[in-house]
Amino acid sequence: MSVTPEEVRQIARLAELSVDEEHLPDLAAQMSRIVDYIAQLSQVSGGENAKPFIPGPDAIRLRADVVAPQPLEGKLSDFAPAFREGFFLVPKLGAFEGAEEDEE
Amino acid sequence: MSASAWETVIGLETHVQLGTVSKMFCGCSTTFGAPPNTNVCPVCLGLPGALPVPNERAIQLAVRAAVALNCTVHPRSVFARKNYFYPDLPKGYQISQYDQPLATAGHLSFLSPDRGVVRAGIIRVHVEEDAGKSLHDRFPRATAVDLNRAGVPLIEIVTEPDFRSPQEARAYLLTLKQVLQYVGVSECDMEKGSLRVDANVSIRKAGSTALGVKCEVKNINAFSYVEKALTVERDRQVAEVERGGTITQSTMLYNSKTNTVRLQRSKEESKDYRYFPEPDLPPLVLSPEWIAEQQGVLPELPATKRERFVSQYGLNQQDAGVLTAERAVADYYESVVHAGAEPKSAANWVMGEVLGDAKDHQEQLRVPASSLAGIIALVKGGTVSNQGAKKVFAEVAAKGGDPRTVAEALGVIQVADTGILAQWVEEVVTAHPAEAARFKGGETKLMAFFVGQVMKTSKGKADPKAAPKLLEERLAK
Amino acid sequence: MTEVEALASAKATATRLGKAKRLNALLTPTTVVRKSLLAQAKEAHPSGVLYGMPVALKDNICTLEFPTTCGSKLLEAYQSPYEATVVTKLKDAGALIAGKANLDEFAMGSSTEHSGFGRVLNPVDRTRVPGGSSGGSAALVGAGAVPAALGSETGGSVRQPAAFCGVVGIKPTYGRVSRYGLVAFGSSLDQIGVLGRSVHDAARVLSVISGRDPRDSTCENRDPLRLPTVPERLEGFVIGIPKEYFPVDLNPGVRRACDRAIRALKDLGAAVRDVSLPHTPYAIPTYYVIAPAEASSNLARFDGVRYGNRADGVTTLAELYRQTRGTGFGPEVQRRILVGTYVLSSGYYDAYYKKAQQMRALLAQDFRNVFDRGVDLIFTPTTPTTAFKAGERTKDPVSMYLADCFTAPANLTGVPAMSLPIGRVKGLPVGGQFIGQPFLEDDMIEAAYALERAIDGTEEA
Repeated sequence: MSVTPEEVRQIARLAELSVDEEHLPDLAAQMSRIVDYIAQLSQVSGGENAKPFIPGPDAIRLRADVVAPQPLEGKLSDFAPAFREGFFLVPKLGAFEGAEEDEE
Repeated sequence: MSASAWETVIGLETHVQLGTVSKMFCGCSTTFGAPPNTNVCPVCLGLPGALPVPNERAIQLAVRAAVALNCTVHPRSVFARKNYFYPDLPKGYQISQYDQPLATAGHLSFLSPDRGVVRAGIIRVHVEEDAGKSLHDRFPRATAVDLNRAGVPLIEIVTEPDFRSPQEARAYLLTLKQVLQYVGVSECDMEKGSLRVDANVSIRKAGSTALGVKCEVKNINAFSYVEKALTVERDRQVAEVERGGTITQSTMLYNSKTNTVRLQRSKEESKDYRYFPEPDLPPLVLSPEWIAEQQGVLPELPATKRERFVSQYGLNQQDAGVLTAERAVADYYESVVHAGAEPKSAANWVMGEVLGDAKDHQEQLRVPASSLAGIIALVKGGTVSNQGAKKVFAEVAAKGGDPRTVAEALGVIQVADTGILAQWVEEVVTAHPAEAARFKGGETKLMAFFVGQVMKTSKGKADPKAAPKLLEERLAK
Repeated sequence: MTEVEALASAKATATRLGKAKRLNALLTPTTVVRKSLLAQAKEAHPSGVLYGMPVALKDNICTLEFPTTCGSKLLEAYQSPYEATVVTKLKDAGALIAGKANLDEFAMGSSTEHSGFGRVLNPVDRTRVPGGSSGGSAALVGAGAVPAALGSETGGSVRQPAAFCGVVGIKPTYGRVSRYGLVAFGSSLDQIGVLGRSVHDAARVLSVISGRDPRDSTCENRDPLRLPTVPERLEGFVIGIPKEYFPVDLNPGVRRACDRAIRALKDLGAAVRDVSLPHTPYAIPTYYVIAPAEASSNLARFDGVRYGNRADGVTTLAELYRQTRGTGFGPEVQRRILVGTYVLSSGYYDAYYKKAQQMRALLAQDFRNVFDRGVDLIFTPTTPTTAFKAGERTKDPVSMYLADCFTAPANLTGVPAMSLPIGRVKGLPVGGQFIGQPFLEDDMIEAAYALERAIDGTEEA
């Protein structure tokens, strides 16, 4: 299999998706099928020399630096799953939870 | 082995908030200190369907910073997504730049406390957006997320591993801060988070040229922690190696309360950010003319200004350094000189009274430059004594006003009128016959005593430069 | 139209939507749509060019009036606090928003069997799929419930269901229509498209929703598309027929319908020429690297922190993310996120993502080579088959992917393309596809107008 269950486990962790252990082999088989299919691209050459294709405008149109926020209908608490005193809430982060910075 | 047998090698990554009024990719305000989640919109909240639109001024300031740091600014650069999950990263990715950044290959010279002038290599300067803030102590069982800061424009400045001590790293940072403030890019206030630094620290045997394994140090939140944090990490690595252990590439978090570092993440768990070009943004294309324009509007940079102050105003290096530490102060000083004040007097007054007053009043330069020039002129002309002038300064700082008028109102105008002076002189000589006799007998150094007495009697109003002449005449009788 | 007529249109639409209920094409309850349509009819701008026209919207387009679920349990009750630019444009033109149409979850699919809220039925044959991912939009138009609907395309998700349901479907040039408010799937591929019961209905809605938007950096700074007039003949048009779209084993019924359409184009005075788009067979693998890669990143924002259904009982951040996403996303979405994450991960980026971008450049070059040699339009079948049966392709994901083999090249290269009914095979609709040059949609629409008039699209081929 081109994609092993262990790889699926790692990818799922990167993608923050819970996957039941018992589904891992099936998922690995499906992913292998897809990966094997898309791997046929490696057989084609010549793309390195083709003019790179970027859809849309050729260059960014920059925006003037003015305070002009887009309005929001209603309040954040209307759609926030957990909201208190103006803050979004998540379970308290532990010491090793991938924090880029410890704030305050 | 002693610490001196080890060489410390440090590289710095600095994140600087650009001084724009709106965010990098949306029109929300960047003002610091707003109530949580009030400077937000669909874009910086990462709502489904929202799209980024880049801020022109942010790019302008980024280019100016890059030029001030002697970088090559690339006419074409590309935004990229840095993918990771964290509660204050609303989209689950940060829009940054990866393999085609805005600028590369620059340098910044600074004065090392150990080695004289050092030129630190700058690998790259790129543009990105800031994340929000996660507050862990606000609520007992939850982490609070505020996205006001999410989307604020940043530049990231990455140096070569060119620093050889924690002190050097700090000196570079202060110079960097100074240059960026000069150019008007950012306030560079670590307390407010507009300047943040992460360091890469490694050690090697003194004399070796190979690089040791580096560890990243994060969470250095103030200038005063820079040296401490890097010293602690260096010491940790030295201790580990001297114990017979090896250094593994890790991320360490600095704790300022305990002055320690702890492991946050080791290489095995290092993140795969899966960078790819940002599909919601075309390439950033800047014309050579526009880039040249940014170079053209750059102000005189600190090092050049300092040298010029030395040669133009006859100041010594140290004083020139103090006066050019901040651009606002340097500009102020020059305004005072252009208003007619003698450069050295102006320097003393600015370094003394002006900066002292500013320290107590939120760094404001409260006395207008022309007024300070006026005060200095009053002293020069003998109208006011130094002491009196300081009183005038304080009054003008607090309430404004013309220096001469204020001096009169305060009653500190020195009296050089010979009629009034003669009365005080008479009073003093009459009151001290013994000293008068000794003076007449040849103890000419008693003049200082008599001048002092005249000042005392006149309650400071007498002009101490005019008094000696009258005293001599009187004592000669 | 007068306000009285607009109100009548609103009522009639609500009734027709109610009749089409069993297709499961509309996610908005009929009572809610009815109430909203009547209120909108009173408020609509009477001078707008679409005044009183009911238009349904695929449910990945943000609206203020109705929730935006993207066909996902994760967003089941999500109420967007802002509306998409295209919605504002429709309303400014006096159109009535006729509810939100069902779709494959997050627009990932080719059959609308992967919705979190049940599959959509093909109005022509309810045992078959309507195509996807804009299957709800296509079914509503196909059933005659609305004259037009907005869909979205990433790999063909407007044209393919249009072909399966016997309606017109247009995908504009990438950058012609603002994506602001379209929930992103594959950002460099996504475009909002229009389904309509006729070329005219689809084209006039496209004209209204197109044009510059400063809130979308990938939207070109152009005026809205001007509606071309219906041409009498097609003299001067050069139409290319690419051999790669007519393989030897092409479904014979589809081939017959295409042949008839090509004859009609010749009869209208167009010059028809054989051409080649040699990298066509690689379009699907290319698409299935780039689209999932971009999707894996675009869907990272669905983390349960700020909106959406957060999983119950989570006590750590990791649980919050993994349970919310693991239970909120359906299996097709999860598969694509995993594939996308895989092809972007270090060690695989060069072999997959970078390689796919190179292939994309070659596909773009294929089209340039054809158009630069004096060809105005390309004509092909829209899909290799007619609508397949529900459940027929859900077991093997790759077999489902192949349904897009004739549509995906236009998404990958940004060119405009459209499908219109050109016949039936055993009663099932066949779509014929025009592929046009960037920002020359009017040529494409003109040819489609003429063809639509010349043939009976419901005739057995």
